[in-house]
Amino acid sequence: MDRRHFIKLTAISGTTAALAACGNPENQVIRFIPEEELVPGLSTWKPSVCPLCNAGCGVIARVMEGDAEVFRNGQAGVIRMGLVKKLEGNPEDPISQGKLCARGQAAVQITYHPDRLDKPRKRSGERGSGQYVDISWDEAIKELTGQLDALVAANDQESLAFLTRPRRGRRLELIAQLLQRYGAPAPVTFELFSDEVLRRANAMSFGAHQLPTFDLENSRYVLVFGADFLGTWNSTVAHSAAYGRMRQGRPGGRAKFVHVDARLSQTGANADEFVAIRPGTEGVLALGIARAVAAHRGGKPDAGSADYTPQEVEQRTGVPATKVEQLAREFAGNAPAVAIIGGAPLAHTNGLFNAFAVNTLNRVAGSVNQPGGVSFIPQGTQTPTRPLSEIVAGTPPKVLLIDDVNPVYGSPGASKIADALKRIPFIVSFGSFIDETSALADLILPDHSFLESWVQASPESGSPKGVPTKFGPVMRPLYDTRPTPDVLLDVSRKLAKPLAGLPTSFEEFVNAEVVRRADSMPIDDPGPWSETPQFDGDAAQYPYHLIPHASQALYDGSLAHLPWLQELPDPMTSGMWCSWVEINEKKARELGIAQGDLIEVTSTQGSLRAPAFLSPGIAPDAIAIPVGQGHTNFTRYATNRGVNPIAILAPTIIPETGTLAWAATRVKIARVGGPDESLILFGGATRERPDWTHGRGDQH
Amino acid sequence: MVFRSRNALLLAAFFLLAATTACEFKSPGQPKLGDDSVPRSRWGTSPVFTPARASFGEAFRQFIGSRPDPVVQPFDFSHQIHLTKGAVCTDCHTAVEQGPRASLPSVNTCMICHSQIATDRPLIQQMTAMSEKGLDFQWRRVYDYAPESHVRFEHAPHIRAKVECSTCHGNQAEQTVARRMVNMDMGFCVNCHKSKQASNDCLTCHY
Repeated sequence: MDRRHFIKLTAISGTTAALAACGNPENQVIRFIPEEELVPGLSTWKPSVCPLCNAGCGVIARVMEGDAEVFRNGQAGVIRMGLVKKLEGNPEDPISQGKLCARGQAAVQITYHPDRLDKPRKRSGERGSGQYVDISWDEAIKELTGQLDALVAANDQESLAFLTRPRRGRRLELIAQLLQRYGAPAPVTFELFSDEVLRRANAMSFGAHQLPTFDLENSRYVLVFGADFLGTWNSTVAHSAAYGRMRQGRPGGRAKFVHVDARLSQTGANADEFVAIRPGTEGVLALGIARAVAAHRGGKPDAGSADYTPQEVEQRTGVPATKVEQLAREFAGNAPAVAIIGGAPLAHTNGLFNAFAVNTLNRVAGSVNQPGGVSFIPQGTQTPTRPLSEIVAGTPPKVLLIDDVNPVYGSPGASKIADALKRIPFIVSFGSFIDETSALADLILPDHSFLESWVQASPESGSPKGVPTKFGPVMRPLYDTRPTPDVLLDVSRKLAKPLAGLPTSFEEFVNAEVVRRADSMPIDDPGPWSETPQFDGDAAQYPYHLIPHASQALYDGSLAHLPWLQELPDPMTSGMWCSWVEINEKKARELGIAQGDLIEVTSTQGSLRAPAFLSPGIAPDAIAIPVGQGHTNFTRYATNRGVNPIAILAPTIIPETGTLAWAATRVKIARVGGPDESLILFGGATRERPDWTHGRGDQH
Repeated sequence: MVFRSRNALLLAAFFLLAATTACEFKSPGQPKLGDDSVPRSRWGTSPVFTPARASFGEAFRQFIGSRPDPVVQPFDFSHQIHLTKGAVCTDCHTAVEQGPRASLPSVNTCMICHSQIATDRPLIQQMTAMSEKGLDFQWRRVYDYAPESHVRFEHAPHIRAKVECSTCHGNQAEQTVARRMVNMDMGFCVNCHKSKQASNDCLTCHY
């Protein structure tokens, strides 16, 4: 065969193969009879609640007729049904006030995610191998009841543990009731960016074990310590709306906003003035200001703040004494003024001190329960929970139920959460996706998406008018999934000894009247505490503070599976679909690091490699890495993308609350290579250039 | 030079064209291969050749204005029988007075009458069997506009303006499955709008 014939033949056989491989197959897709009558082309807006963070924003979902690929009676096919096309804030909702953040906007993708689990599965291969076989719901529930009956038979009900997220309102309450009736201990909760430290401080200062609500709209001066309150911290939608009115809603009454932090976040970039501070010393500055405020008011300095002279504060925090005096003068002279703390300052070993100090400042300035100050929404019953450390450190439970929480990703590698979970004989996961934690499950019972189920939220902050909200499903389920609370109730009825006194369905439970009882959370004695933060890693060997921070788009990593959010450029760096190490631009020049260079970040616990992002918005002795990427197993969009800074954190615990001190790790950095194209930026660099020299004392 | 012979090059190009015309490429967000139930193909003539289609073939067919007539429907429904027996359009196309689309009835709508009427006919029995299995018809769309013409047609305002269904859809009493009886080009719309003194502003229909 000569060359010409070979080419001809290749062309012909190639196209023939292409023709054979496609074309219109005979078998047509099955179409089911619609379950509801809708007017095509017209939309209706139905209310629901966004489940992505604890803010509990009320949303409205635009429902329109459309064709969806669904599962009905174990069969895949197409059906014409009402589909949620868009989410917006609910104008009637006191928290969201008709607005919604970017993460909430993307929540609609959860329901239509291509990797969403559509039917129950049972593990068939090794644990973590990802090999599963489909089973029916009857079989799955039988399997779970079998395991629970075995515990009852062995009189070992204590060995059942339930792991979920905190602050889930009635859902958590129902879970707690079920566990109690079964005889198991209280549910275990896990949250990476837990605000437990602040709640504890508020319980100590004000007797309210909850997050504070700020009346920003009426404030004239706002002093923020680290809290990214417009981006990722607490009730961001409510804050942003009130912030807008505070800045522009009162002609002639534009309030001043000062941000104190070691990294210029999106919130910090909005401030009139940015004050650079040594990480972990925010409490000292707050007490220094409180002392000076008290002096301005002509009163006696608060007992706790007698020693915090501006000079001492300068020496400890790096903030010049003149700046401390100026902040105090402004804070005292612009009542109502309010101080806010959140984020990294709470995640040091002395987080409770920092929070308590800011509470003291608010109290000294007379901003508590006043217009323009800080207040607390009356709360309903708080469900008692246990921290994750109890099942990791103690005797492992025999059966673990996991409800949509991913501690394997959200804990330092040194915490060995995955190893602890692997020791548990039987794990059931209820989440809608395979992630690092649910990949260890033996049985996966996928939940409805929030749009397909009854939802309920009891916001703990955000609006003085905050009320618990509850809504029914806004669309019919797409797949062969079942709402987790109802599956649990079903299991409770099918046990050999059925549990009594429980509602028949979650719908009934949500709609039942809530018996309110006064919050009787005991207020701890603060005891002796350290004002000085402790850091893992010797300062000489590990010269940089590692500041992991919640990603504006991916939050704590639980949203990395949503492509809209992967595509959302970070407001400060414009990074998307990737991780980066934010490093001070002058420092980087000294070290010979250029934008995009691959650098290795090493802590005492391990190392990671990511591209450098040169930024004027970070202290020279700190680096920042956004949390959210670096998943090893979390859908097609997030798996093996970027790095997870949590993995190399030291497992330092804040002693008073048992939560992770995620800002208490020091690291060293080294340039290991040139740009490897892993840094994906949408636009130009940051234009704001805070002055880091004045605040650094004699360190640099 | 790989293709030394011009003929071989032409041959390869021809086969590639033939293959792509017949082939429906699968791309993300597009309905599955051969899934005729999803109204993907808008059988309008496009004034521009654009590859923004599920397949090259579809783009080509749309460009030359090739559309099958009659559209092959999954079921031999007869408009004629129903209309001569006194049914009216809105009995089945229920959304026509409320929204932009007239709506294509599901088996549920058919069964409102046919659980009682003409139950001895083979076609009705076939449909009843489908209904019992929970299966619906995959009606194919007969009228539509090419997406790049940006026409937004709404039925409801036309019904309110007392335009007869037959003005645009012809006398359906003469038809079995619906066929295109009227050439709905822009001239057709504009003439009627003129005679009824309805707006002929571009943005009335194109947006």
